[in-house]
Amino acid sequence: MSTAMNFGSKTFKPRPPDKGSFPLDHFGECKDFKEKFMKCLRDNSFDNSQCRLQSKDYLECRMEHQLMAKEPLEKLGFRDLVDPPPSQADNNTKP
Amino acid sequence: MLLPLLVRPSLCYPPASLLLTQCVRTLRCDAGRTLHSQTEHFLRRRLPLRFQSRGTKSRSRTTRGQEEDWKTRNKTALTYIAAAGVGMIGLSYAAVPLYRLYCQASGLGGTAVAGHDTDLVESMKPVKERVLKITFNADTHASMQWNFRPQQTEIFVVPGETALAFYRAKNPTDKPIIGISTYNVVPFEAGQYFNKIQCFCFEEQRLNPHEEVDMPVFFYIDPEFDEDPRMARVNTITLSYTFFEAKEGQSVPLPGYSYN
Repeated sequence: MSTAMNFGSKTFKPRPPDKGSFPLDHFGECKDFKEKFMKCLRDNSFDNSQCRLQSKDYLECRMEHQLMAKEPLEKLGFRDLVDPPPSQADNNTKP
Repeated sequence: MLLPLLVRPSLCYPPASLLLTQCVRTLRCDAGRTLHSQTEHFLRRRLPLRFQSRGTKSRSRTTRGQEEDWKTRNKTALTYIAAAGVGMIGLSYAAVPLYRLYCQASGLGGTAVAGHDTDLVESMKPVKERVLKITFNADTHASMQWNFRPQQTEIFVVPGETALAFYRAKNPTDKPIIGISTYNVVPFEAGQYFNKIQCFCFEEQRLNPHEEVDMPVFFYIDPEFDEDPRMARVNTITLSYTFFEAKEGQSVPLPGYSYN
């Protein structure tokens, strides 16, 4: 939290999210995908780069169940997971 | 004796004819030599007076010319000064939007870097060498009865890569509670690079009695984070969410003193 006594300094201005707010998953429709993602994180010592496939699956589940606006996955930063790269050497880097 | 006194003062600006008549009158009087000498004196005085008068006339001419010259010069100087004054005032008014533009372009002063759009998310390349630790914090307002906590304490991301994180909220009470949240990022400068694609903040979220939900946050760190020299020693970013209870007619109180 911004400290109380700094009247002159810059304060943090929260910005609204780019695509708005996630509707709540009241019925737990995507809970399984979430559990898979959390398990992956725990197994990989919370390294997000290893679990991007699971996060993509979770977001796809959300889109299927009307819990998220449908969008092409490239726009969500999953370009490397959607399009198989032409050469195997570029497997780890984004094209 | 009085005559010279009378005549002398009038000698300053008399016309020539008047002088002559006065001289003749003095000649007619019985002053004799003194008068003659005085007329000579007058004559002598006349010439220098004429010269004087010419001098004053010419001096007045030059002074008049000079005065006019000075007047025009003063006028132009005054107009220049007035224009400069007006220009300064206009500049001080124009400085506000110009400074804002400059800040946006250069990113100084903690202003949001302009140009956060989906194209950036699509085209950004992850900076694999720079691993950052994102820690999560969850708070609730004192009167908010939800149980709100993060599902992971930390996550390791790299700039330019989108990441997903989860919070969990439970309503342990017997009545539905509507919550609304806001967030904060420390350190302050790193907050400018922290971009949320989608989250659960700033909108009312309703939890039914005894309901528990997972709340995701989908975010990324701007790849320009790696190029910022001020961020060279920043390796941990903390994302902190705070839930408040939403009541009718109340707006979200932002933390700190900036009520925008």
